[in-house]
Amino acid sequence: METTLDLSTLNLAVVLPELTLIVFAILVMAADVFATPKNPAPRQWTPWIALAGVVAAAIVNLSVSGREVTLFQGAAILDKFAVGLNYIILLATGLGILLSVKYIPRINKQVGEYYALTLLTATGMMMMGAALDLITLFLALEIFSLALYILSGLNRTSPRSTEAAIKYFLLGAFSSAFFAYGGALIYAGTGTTQYYGIAQVTAAGLANTPLLYAGIALLVAGFGFKVSLVPFHSWTPDVYQGAPTPVTAFMSVGTKAAAFAAFFRVMLVALPFSYGAWSMPLALLAVITMAVGNFAALQQRSLKRMLAYSSIAHAGYILTALAGGAAEGADAALFYLFTYAFMNIGAFAVVMALEEMGAEDAMQDRAKGLGKTHPIMAFLMAIFMFGLSGMPPLAGFYGKVLLFEAAVAGGMIWLAIAAVAFTAVGAVYYLRVIANMYFADPVDESADEVNRSLPLDVGLAIAVAGTILVGVFPGFWMNAFQQSMALFGG
Amino acid sequence: MEFLNSWVLPIILFWPAVAALLIFITNDERMIKWGSILASLLPLGLSIYLLAAYDQGVGGMQFVVDIPWIEPLNASFALGADGLSVPLIFLTTLLSTLSIYYSAGTIRYRVKEYFLMFQLLELSMLGVFMALDYVLFYVFWEISLVPMYLLIGIWGGKNRGYASIKFFIYTLVGSVAMLLAILGTYYATGTFNILDAAAAKPFMNLPADQALLLSSLAFWGFFLGFAFKVPSFPFHTWLPDAHTEAPTAGSVILAGVLLKLGAYGFLRIILPTFPSTSAYWSMWIVALGAIAIVYGAFVCIAQTDLKRLIAYSSVSHMGYVMLGIGAAASAMGRNPDGTSMLNDPAVFDSAAMAINGALLQMFMHGIITGALFLLVGVIYERAHTRALDKFGGLGTLTPYYYGFFLVAGFASLGLPGLAGFWAEFFTFRGAFALVPLWAAFGVIGIVMTAVYILWRIMQSLFFGEYDSTKLDHWTTVTGEHADGPTDMVAFEKLTLWPLIIGMFVLGFFPMLVLNYFNSFSVGMLESIRTLF
Amino acid sequence: MVSQTWYLALAAFVFSCGLYAALTRRNAIAVLIGIELMLNAVNINLVTFWRYGSMAPMEQLSGQVFSLFVIAIAGAEAAVGLALIISVYRTRHTVNLDELDMLKG
Repeated sequence: METTLDLSTLNLAVVLPELTLIVFAILVMAADVFATPKNPAPRQWTPWIALAGVVAAAIVNLSVSGREVTLFQGAAILDKFAVGLNYIILLATGLGILLSVKYIPRINKQVGEYYALTLLTATGMMMMGAALDLITLFLALEIFSLALYILSGLNRTSPRSTEAAIKYFLLGAFSSAFFAYGGALIYAGTGTTQYYGIAQVTAAGLANTPLLYAGIALLVAGFGFKVSLVPFHSWTPDVYQGAPTPVTAFMSVGTKAAAFAAFFRVMLVALPFSYGAWSMPLALLAVITMAVGNFAALQQRSLKRMLAYSSIAHAGYILTALAGGAAEGADAALFYLFTYAFMNIGAFAVVMALEEMGAEDAMQDRAKGLGKTHPIMAFLMAIFMFGLSGMPPLAGFYGKVLLFEAAVAGGMIWLAIAAVAFTAVGAVYYLRVIANMYFADPVDESADEVNRSLPLDVGLAIAVAGTILVGVFPGFWMNAFQQSMALFGG
Repeated sequence: MEFLNSWVLPIILFWPAVAALLIFITNDERMIKWGSILASLLPLGLSIYLLAAYDQGVGGMQFVVDIPWIEPLNASFALGADGLSVPLIFLTTLLSTLSIYYSAGTIRYRVKEYFLMFQLLELSMLGVFMALDYVLFYVFWEISLVPMYLLIGIWGGKNRGYASIKFFIYTLVGSVAMLLAILGTYYATGTFNILDAAAAKPFMNLPADQALLLSSLAFWGFFLGFAFKVPSFPFHTWLPDAHTEAPTAGSVILAGVLLKLGAYGFLRIILPTFPSTSAYWSMWIVALGAIAIVYGAFVCIAQTDLKRLIAYSSVSHMGYVMLGIGAAASAMGRNPDGTSMLNDPAVFDSAAMAINGALLQMFMHGIITGALFLLVGVIYERAHTRALDKFGGLGTLTPYYYGFFLVAGFASLGLPGLAGFWAEFFTFRGAFALVPLWAAFGVIGIVMTAVYILWRIMQSLFFGEYDSTKLDHWTTVTGEHADGPTDMVAFEKLTLWPLIIGMFVLGFFPMLVLNYFNSFSVGMLESIRTLF
Repeated sequence: MVSQTWYLALAAFVFSCGLYAALTRRNAIAVLIGIELMLNAVNINLVTFWRYGSMAPMEQLSGQVFSLFVIAIAGAEAAVGLALIISVYRTRHTVNLDELDMLKG
């Protein structure tokens, strides 16, 4: 047996966005090394180097878009879907960095590591969308998960932050084991780990069905953990609450986008011929996820926990499109996640500004009377809340329309009806924040300060501009995400 | 003229947005107030131009604008106005101007936000009346929730938090149901254009039982969306709370225009798009309408709060609209031999009468109830209470106020010679021919209307002797102390005069608006008649 | 020669042990050990399927490669996990998961 490595198939040019980020991550670490107590300047450059990396990766991403290439002998693919996901991840990373500039130095002096880890997390997330092989997928998943465990425990002196990190880590590692086991079973059932290979075997009816289905079930559990579907969601509120808020903002969007992208690709590319087996379980998961997420969010006193449960509910909405099984579902999910990045990170940014010095969280009471004391912050939060609740003409609305349309296109009308009903439930807790801001009087006049800074303001401006403009002119972005996924045999 | 005719609708629609932007960058309260009033005159003027320029001989959609908007969704920015929407656009701009003018005299805190919200509100309502694309329609429909929610929540009464969120959630539940129906219609017809979808008659090419099931689902989706807004019994429970807590001008717009959005949806979307399905379910619409008329009127009699009473009278009066719409829908089915019921000229005339009556009721109710809510505001600004048992004998002390209230009250109970009469006349003329039993039941409501207007309102407020011990904290409208009730001041009179004049003019010349409505209703019924 | 069944039974046994430990132990380190056991069971499975599986030719090394990556990742997980456990111990002086209950609501 003689194996040669054919270098011509190592089409490295098409992982350039990821490579760019890695290069900049190294630059960040290098800059950090040159910082000394006497000369801390290089360390202060790190956020801007990281931001430059994000911008550079976005430019590279633009230059590689429009092609459709598989590489590493079918281990990864660069199609419109992967490019679209890259934009979303880079957007979330960029906004996350803007939020971090003033915040992170307050909790941890090792800011260089923070930005390097953030960039590496983004690299892993981007690979999630590109993966076309279960091995690549597992690697990408672990790359970003391991980095995120560390990021959520970044505030090493805070009992809450470290607790969040250990909870996230243990449950995450636990789910990785399931994920790997699922991958192994699918390999056992089909004899391959490549998506196209799996699709080929299942299409021909050659697969070992019990092994395959057991593998799918374990894989779904692994994904369910990452995108926080009920009943795999229990870590979400704890980690969102305990992690440093910029990290929460970044990961709430990044993890969800990356894991959902991979989820859609596995299900629609590798396993479309098992649709009958997974559609109904996913639909049921979507319903209980929306139910638990929305109703639990109603009862939260902490803003971060409320947003955590709301993110669970949003995972349910996105899952409706996957359960529909139609290829439009992937486009809808991408568009939705794109809008979600603006709205959700924006909302976390406002929460961050409301946090009192040294606290990781802000309570609902903190929002009371904000309309009087800080009209601009209140206005921004209102836009984000209306956006998340799916109010037109803000960005969230069209995302929901596309998602539910995809569910209907897949024949799941009842699921769309359920999702729409839960949207109405969701409006209650978003509106409560608005009501607190505008209809109530401030509780505590002394806690009047909001922590604003120029980078945060820029991040907020981008978030609000995106929420409004993508809402008023959604056509361009819908086009950008249309017919994005390279399907098997398509 | 050519230019104006092709762009008048976008100009009317987006002018409030421009005004809102100007308000946003202005900080001087006087300037904001006067600027808002002046800004609102342009849409008013242009909507009068619309009334004049709309060619009734040609009929149909005019001033149409159709620009591609969200191409991946096939949604376009399509606006148009026909005999149905032209008068309603006028009503919207008129009431907006009057409300803004009235608010300039009564709103004292967070002035900037208030007038900003009002401009957005006007924008959204105009958008609903003009939109010819489902997505656009839905967008404006939803936008209208937000400013009203904030108007109630920020400038409302004591219980405003509860009332505002109830208003929002109830209407939202309806509108998400509508969203599903819109998606279903889109899948059946492949277009988001409201007129094209209506012409395509979704689901009708399917086997009969499947067609009935799917079109019924769509019908009820739309029905929920619109019935919550009308509000039709039993979806009306948000209305009294919202009205009671809303600031006066908010109530005027809520009753005057926002409720009409629901009825407008029935006539613009449900009846033309799902005629046979509407006929199938028409008795439900009729029954809910008739029940609302009677129930609303009886509940009015039991009220102790003046504003809540007027709010329930809205439920009752919007019941006439539902009754008329339902009666017309009942004529849209087929005879046993498969021909259209509308082939019979008598049925056709009755259906047209019923729709015209419903439309007149929408328009007249906008004017009359708008005036009534303003009148409630007038007394509330002085007495700071709306409890009916605190008043009495105001007739001699505030004759001007008495006179206005008398006209508006009589118009509301349908006295011939005033605007309300024609609406009730046409509605019942049409309904008696088509759904006689329910129409007869609804007549009870007319009698009860007279009871609550005369006995509850007129007697409690104006008759008898003034008793100064009942209420001892009167102020003037500007908030200074007064020894007793003071009569209306100039800005209040100026707000109300156009409405009072309108009641008389339309009472004698209902054809002024009826012609527009008739061109719409005859056109729609004709298109349905030729369907089978 | 030992048959495929025995390897798979061993893998299932190891996985179950790991799962049991991860679910019942309250000590964070014990939970971590359980998770590592589960990953090792996956490795046994992968190699077994590669060697005996009827579906794929043995020349394709997917199963082996997969298990190599799992080994590497298990190592990385242990490193990160132990570091996090240490940082928790520094702030809370316990690694008992039941006592880590500040985050709830």
